[in-house]
Amino acid sequence: MGNSESGLLTGKDAGLVLCLECNKVLQYEEPEEGCLLLCPRCGAEVHFRKPDSIARTWALVVTAVVLYFPANMLPMMRVDFMGSPDYSTIMDGIIYFFKEGYYFVGSVILTASILVPVFKIIGIILILCSIHFRWKRWLRHKTSMLKFIEFIGRWSMLDVFVIALLGVLVNFGFFTSIQAADAATYFTGVVIFTMLAAINFDSRLLWDAAD
Amino acid sequence: MEDTVDPDKVILCPACDLLLEKVSAAPDQSVICPRCATKLYAPRNNSLNRTLALTITGLILFAPANLLPLLTMEAIGIEDSGSIVESFLGLYEKGYYFVAVMVMLTSLVIPLIKLGLLLNVTLCLRLRRYPEWLPWAFRTYLNLDEWGMLEVYMIGILVTIIKMYHMAHIHYDLGFYCFIGLLISTLGSSAAMDEHHFWEMMETRPLPENDPGAELKRAGMHG
Ligand SMILES: [Zn+2]
Repeated sequence: MGNSESGLLTGKDAGLVLCLECNKVLQYEEPEEGCLLLCPRCGAEVHFRKPDSIARTWALVVTAVVLYFPANMLPMMRVDFMGSPDYSTIMDGIIYFFKEGYYFVGSVILTASILVPVFKIIGIILILCSIHFRWKRWLRHKTSMLKFIEFIGRWSMLDVFVIALLGVLVNFGFFTSIQAADAATYFTGVVIFTMLAAINFDSRLLWDAAD
Repeated sequence: MEDTVDPDKVILCPACDLLLEKVSAAPDQSVICPRCATKLYAPRNNSLNRTLALTITGLILFAPANLLPLLTMEAIGIEDSGSIVESFLGLYEKGYYFVAVMVMLTSLVIPLIKLGLLLNVTLCLRLRRYPEWLPWAFRTYLNLDEWGMLEVYMIGILVTIIKMYHMAHIHYDLGFYCFIGLLISTLGSSAAMDEHHFWEMMETRPLPENDPGAELKRAGMHG
């Protein structure tokens, strides 16, 4: 019981449980059969650790990986110019900005659409493996990385918003028009599933596994 | 190891479960977990009034920001303008239902629900009223927080402008300025909001000032 090496006491060791919704500390009492422990302050369910956290996170991150391939390989945008359609993937869009000399915008989209989803997926898998194999090092860094993954998750929606806006703003009849293409659906899926994976993960498991 | 730790005298780190003694922090200072460096809490000055003012501003700007045209593009003599609502209606018409619904939720529905809930919570706390749904409303607000993506949409508008800069003449419409105002008040309201202070108020239920009947009312509410 407890973290023998450092002598630090955790809430679980002391029989205390934290309500993650309102941060109230409660004395843990075993709820009656079929009942849940509810927080007296905010009414949320309280658990020592988020239930089935690892299984749920794996399922969500694997779904994101599966969706990642069509999201990057299928066209994201369709541009009609003088009656002939031209399809472009996320990568084509980024290359366009770099070719035109817009290095800053190109980098922003490259980061939001390609680097962030890859970083999120690899980061979450790394953390799940770290728990599975009980790696005890870099715990503090891994916790910060998880915070960072939670923070940047939403920024990947950037390209989807741009295409939604272009679709309504660039509609000059036969001359030229822009609309979304099939990758948009898969890409939105990647963003949603990686965000859900980060939400369902309980970083306290990382510290438990190192005990 | 102590067997009985008073739960009201300690805090637990939500990221690593470390047990820590409750310490108080001055406004705009923050308490950091010594083991995993997670920010535990950061009190805010005059949180309630600032949050309330910013939330009301956000709600006033909400309809014009979403319904009025943001930008007008002009090329070969044809003008085309669009608002936020039209941006996801366009996706819907083209059959991209999932993308359309997600854009609608993250750029309009969730930001609106968040402002509405925060208005109710701050008003109740300001008037020292504690209806049964109050903790639920605040919890829902906190859980929805990261699904409202106005700031991402704002950067999306800027990228769109840069992308079309050479191909079309761009006018900035009233909706664009309202959207910037909405974004600033939404970001400001969540920055001014002091989560711990709000929860403490809901728990301790401070009485309204200069109201002799309040003690009775409160006794009645507890049953
Ligand atoms: Zn609670």
